[in-house]
Amino acid sequence: MQGRIDRPLRNARLAGVLLLGLLLLTGCATTPRLAESTSQTLPRQAWVEDVPFHAQREYQCGPAALAMTLNHAGVDVPMETLIPQVFIPGREGSVQPEMLATVRRHGRIPFVLNDSFDALLTEIATGHPVVVLQNLSLPAWPMWHYAVAIGYDLDARELMLHSGEEAKRIESFRRFDATWARSDRWAFVALRPGELPSGIGEQRALQAIAAFEQVQGAEATLPAWVAFVERFPHSGMGYFALGNARHATGDLEGASEAFRSAVAQRDDLGVAWLNLGLTLQAQGNIGEARQALERAVALPGHWQAHATAALERLSSGD
Amino acid sequence: MKTLRRFLSPLLILALVLGSVSVSAAPLPTSELISTQAALSAERADADRERINEILSRAEVQEQLIAQGVDLAEVDARVAALSDEEARQMAEQLEQLPAGAGVVGALLVVFIVLLVTDILGLTNVFPFTR
Repeated sequence: MQGRIDRPLRNARLAGVLLLGLLLLTGCATTPRLAESTSQTLPRQAWVEDVPFHAQREYQCGPAALAMTLNHAGVDVPMETLIPQVFIPGREGSVQPEMLATVRRHGRIPFVLNDSFDALLTEIATGHPVVVLQNLSLPAWPMWHYAVAIGYDLDARELMLHSGEEAKRIESFRRFDATWARSDRWAFVALRPGELPSGIGEQRALQAIAAFEQVQGAEATLPAWVAFVERFPHSGMGYFALGNARHATGDLEGASEAFRSAVAQRDDLGVAWLNLGLTLQAQGNIGEARQALERAVALPGHWQAHATAALERLSSGD
Repeated sequence: MKTLRRFLSPLLILALVLGSVSVSAAPLPTSELISTQAALSAERADADRERINEILSRAEVQEQLIAQGVDLAEVDARVAALSDEEARQMAEQLEQLPAGAGVVGALLVVFIVLLVTDILGLTNVFPFTR
């Protein structure tokens, strides 16, 4: 008698322990909440038109996601070209840094979004498809997967994605966020130089554009710096970067104007005083060049020695 | 990779030290502007050490990618497109970085656990659970 009662009890307890373990293992998934301001300003539904769909083959969701977002951004590159550029045979997949690097190779700037549902939906509403990294499985047996988020419905609480072999797949916010949170909500957009994501932070944007410039050069990057100082008009480094890009494309006048704006925003930016002085010197404006270089020499920091030498050269009439 | 680093590190340090010695003796090539990238990396502490690490990182990433079966003709361009920080990240933890593939290699037990979590809406491994 006793035994017959005990067995179901023990089974129930075992099931409870298993369930608890499972919940601990997975972390509790909850429906993501949007900031008040975001849910008020965003349209209730939005989707990005004209995102071509490429079905992934075998392990190649990385190249497929890249092809979709690059094609939408006006780069006519087939998935076959992208496979040898981003896929790592030994890992049977593609890693995040190389996803971003490949975007750069094709003349678009990859901006990693801040890790929030708000940023993701805002980009979609702006008309940018967003590449997301999900772990569709559990942390212990990961199944990493790149997909492209192209639409949402706030009332139905659903996201629309081009994912794997399925175009316009619908996933609930809750299930999507559970899988996306496992990559620390990693997501990026690929934009033409001159476009910026709406909510991007100053430093994040600055680093993204500087990395692009290192690969594609000043001329291709110039529109991005113009857009950057428009968005962040108080960024001394932004004007400094704009000045450098203008200088590299032969626009000395525009360059010295930008360097002037840089030091107007940040009087202690020695490197901007230095570049201003060198540019003015090249323009033949020796008097002002000397003043700028003297200012650079007076500022302690990494470039002080450079500035001292530049001033000496100017004085010796070199 | 470790041996490469051990071999290259002293050489690079020596090269950079010699480089800065000759620079302080001779006038600096100051007609060149300071690039945005150089200014940004100098804003961080340890700029010189980071430069050494960066050069090493790119060499290492190149080696690792070749070892992972990446086409030789593509390796240079792939490494060149990485930002300094990404190159460092790849060199230090390529094995640990999640590689998006969209497939899971799983055992039967795992299969059952994932089936349950799929039904609970925590994962999304099986298309038929939606």
